[in-house]
Amino acid sequence: MRYRCLLILWLASDLFLFLGSFALAYFLRVGFILSSDFPFGPFIAAAAMASPFWLLVLATTRTFALGRRQQTLRNLAYIAYASVVGCALFALLYYFLYDVFFSRLLIVFAFAISTGAAWIWHIIFERMLRIALTKDPPQFPTLIIGVTRESRRLIALLKCSRNPLFPVAILDGLGVKEQEIEGVPICGKLNKLEEVLKERKITHLIQCSDLEQSLNLLSACRSRAITYMVLPSVFGIVERDEKIESLEGHAVTVVGPPRRWWEWFF
Amino acid sequence: MQAFILAGGFATRLWPLTEKRAKPLLPLAGKPIITHLLEKIPREIPVTVSTNAAFAEGFERWKQTIDRPVELIIEQTRKDEHKLGALGAVAAWISARRIDDDLLLLTGDNYLGFSLAEFLRAFHPPHALLAAHDIENLAHASSFGTVLTDPNDPKRVIGFEEKPKESKTTLVSTGCSILPRATLPIVLEFAEREPENVGGIFEEFLRRKIAIDCFTFREPWLDVGSFASYLEAHRLLLGEKVLIDTDSTLETTTCTGSVSVAAGSRVIGSELCDTLVFERCTITDCTLRDCVIDEGCTLEGVDLRGKMIRAGTVLRLG
Repeated sequence: MRYRCLLILWLASDLFLFLGSFALAYFLRVGFILSSDFPFGPFIAAAAMASPFWLLVLATTRTFALGRRQQTLRNLAYIAYASVVGCALFALLYYFLYDVFFSRLLIVFAFAISTGAAWIWHIIFERMLRIALTKDPPQFPTLIIGVTRESRRLIALLKCSRNPLFPVAILDGLGVKEQEIEGVPICGKLNKLEEVLKERKITHLIQCSDLEQSLNLLSACRSRAITYMVLPSVFGIVERDEKIESLEGHAVTVVGPPRRWWEWFF
Repeated sequence: MQAFILAGGFATRLWPLTEKRAKPLLPLAGKPIITHLLEKIPREIPVTVSTNAAFAEGFERWKQTIDRPVELIIEQTRKDEHKLGALGAVAAWISARRIDDDLLLLTGDNYLGFSLAEFLRAFHPPHALLAAHDIENLAHASSFGTVLTDPNDPKRVIGFEEKPKESKTTLVSTGCSILPRATLPIVLEFAEREPENVGGIFEEFLRRKIAIDCFTFREPWLDVGSFASYLEAHRLLLGEKVLIDTDSTLETTTCTGSVSVAAGSRVIGSELCDTLVFERCTITDCTLRDCVIDEGCTLEGVDLRGKMIRAGTVLRLG
């Protein structure tokens, strides 16, 4: 519920941000007056009509996804791409509605402001979101399976970055002597799975070892509508050079030989 | 004499088969492991089974299926860390019931191939008696607790070694012994100090100069402790047979090796090899090798090898 409300707030704020960006571009280009030659009303009305489509394009880039880090160049690229589409839509709408053209530089201003503002706002909102979602009780209590080097790193990383997936318990197939990792309790072996899933209201499970139990962990997750994740290291892919690609429509994990950067596109 | 079967372990290595079922209740050649054991105990010996609250319901149901009275002792714990310990459970029962009798102590997850009647005949109080399996291979013996006997009197136990690097003997300790009534106070005293150490009681006997006789056997002995040992026990007991419950269906299915299909299950157009299918499963167009499929699973169009599948799992090839 907390997440849904925050997500709605995020989407709504983005709509206003898009409109605000266009308004700012208008005033920067026209001057801080309401021109009668190029009236503000029809301009902002066209921007308002384009904004839901811009938001839709932005959503298709999965920028609002729970695990997406906002402060990355890739995310900036996605936002810029959505802004390009938003500005193009705006220009088309304006032309079809009013049958006139206007300053091309204004479109450039609108693109630059909406891209920059959206990126900065997303970085700020992500921080607020993470604080809100990890407040006690955490919104997404996460169970870690396996005490391994990888799982230790993962737990530390999730905690350090205040990731919404908040580790609340650890189980290990063989059992370990330690009591906790980074303050996360080790609750025992896999025979405690049902108990932990129920008592700690687990929403996400991350498998970090015990490959032979993947089917059973997945089965437990499916029966309780829990999101299941698995680290590539469980399959022996420890060098972090894997990619998820598609093979005839089926998702596959790919580890290929090193390639030049431009080969990524092909 | 009274028989006491220890069946209170949580069997974490056999998860998920033991998620809601105690290890002694796992089926082996068509009946629970503990039933194989119970059938060997002479009927005149009263039997008590000790388990914990997590598995109580399963044992109550099992009790309804057997044709002799069995007393169930339910330890009120659902967590490993709250358990009394195996020897603690024995001691608690001895104290509560004021037992003053020789005690046949058995482990519920062991399959014993030898005759218990013969074992009982080898008991000569006040000596304690311990069944030792001759594994006939020194290297294999080092994976178990071994029993050292007197070179001049092979029926007399002189010591124990826990998983020795280089075993001196091929005799391995099993979960079958007799504690003479005279030793019960020592059991109570030792259980207070080391409630989990069932094997330790025999070392304590040796420390106190109480003689322990060794009953050596070469018949099969199976300690079902892991997935591999469970499958091995299944293969050994079933051989190259296919055990199909009368209330189950097999249609256009090929079975090789040891296969058992329990009541209410349907297997259609599949290949099964060395596999156990528990109750109420539906398996269609699958190839299963060395698998244990727990009850209520639905599998369609999948190939599995060496898997234990959790109860209620639905796997359909997308």
